[in-house]
Amino acid sequence: MRSLLLNSLLLIGLLSGCSSAYKNLQQANGDVNCITKFRPQFANTLYSTQVDILKHHLSGLLFFKQMPDSNLRVVFANEMGFKFFDFEFTRDGGFVKHYMLPKMDKKAVVKTLRGDFELVLLRPDLSKAHVMQDSTYHYTVVPTAKGNNYYITDTACAQLERIEKSSKRKPVVKVWLRNYEAGVPDTISIRHQGFTFNISLQRVQK
Amino acid sequence: MAQQQGFKPVADAAAFKQQFAKASQATQSIQCDFVQEKNLSMLSDKIVSKGKFWFRKENKVRMEYMQPSYYLLVMNGKDIKTKDGQKENRVSTKGNKLFEQINKITVDCVQGNVVNNTDFNTRILENGQFYLLEMTPVNKSLAQYFKTIQLLVDKKDYSVSKIQMYEAGGDDTSISFLHKQLNVNIPDAVFAVK
Repeated sequence: MRSLLLNSLLLIGLLSGCSSAYKNLQQANGDVNCITKFRPQFANTLYSTQVDILKHHLSGLLFFKQMPDSNLRVVFANEMGFKFFDFEFTRDGGFVKHYMLPKMDKKAVVKTLRGDFELVLLRPDLSKAHVMQDSTYHYTVVPTAKGNNYYITDTACAQLERIEKSSKRKPVVKVWLRNYEAGVPDTISIRHQGFTFNISLQRVQK
Repeated sequence: MAQQQGFKPVADAAAFKQQFAKASQATQSIQCDFVQEKNLSMLSDKIVSKGKFWFRKENKVRMEYMQPSYYLLVMNGKDIKTKDGQKENRVSTKGNKLFEQINKITVDCVQGNVVNNTDFNTRILENGQFYLLEMTPVNKSLAQYFKTIQLLVDKKDYSVSKIQMYEAGGDDTSISFLHKQLNVNIPDAVFAVK
């Protein structure tokens, strides 16, 4: 009896471990393009920024600048002007690393930061996207190489709840863009789900 | 900056060093406002920060940024405390060579000992109003970050008016010291790191 109970528990554990966090989503009607209205209109925008990575804490100012060629530069420096990174996101989806602090300049770090900011910039290729729903939200699903990106809104697509980058089964990064003013979110929060890597931004006047 | 503002090599470097040392010896404390400008050359843009600065001999510095966001840095000997909107952090520069060098540069700059800092080759220039100390790092770890650091010294009172740090990548950061009050009494609590 005891071993039966144990086996049942193990089975439940295994099944729940393998099942997708998105398995209850149903196909829905909706326009995938509706999420483009949440794309932040960064022109010349400054954020007070805190980064917690494992046991380390960094703070500084993160600057988004739209360049004349429509590419977007993202520069993060500490309060004293000591630069951590300078990235460029081109309008056709490309990426240029202009600078990365030598101590942080690891392929995995750059790739992770690039992925995180691509979620924030909200410029997905919607050609293969479709809309799904659960009882509360609409999910604009954009397939990626390793899973999906989910742009989660209310059913009327009037409010962006959050963005999730997922593996095949579960979210790996969640992003919140909140309190838009003139097309620019006042706060941005990026939280990795598997380990401590959180970035939080609060808009400040330049 | 040197060429733009008509700076030329100082006529009597020894006399300058002597005067500069004398003035810094007489400076027990500095209290002032500061304006920091981070120039992002490729972006043709800058980020301006403002705050308050305190220095007391031998090696106590407090920089409190008020704009565009709050940030506090206190250096007291080998101890450093930082505080941002979310977190307070304490570190010791002991055993951290780069931190120790940056700490030393800051204190040397405001105290005027920088001409004797062997981490740099220093060239001394002047125009009508200022002396300009052009410091080029000689060691690799500093050269990785800074091409040169320039110090603008007011001829009136030999006090440092501006520090300009030129990065290897082309950007630069300047800190201008305004409304300077020399030798006012600054309580210990201002530099508390514990």
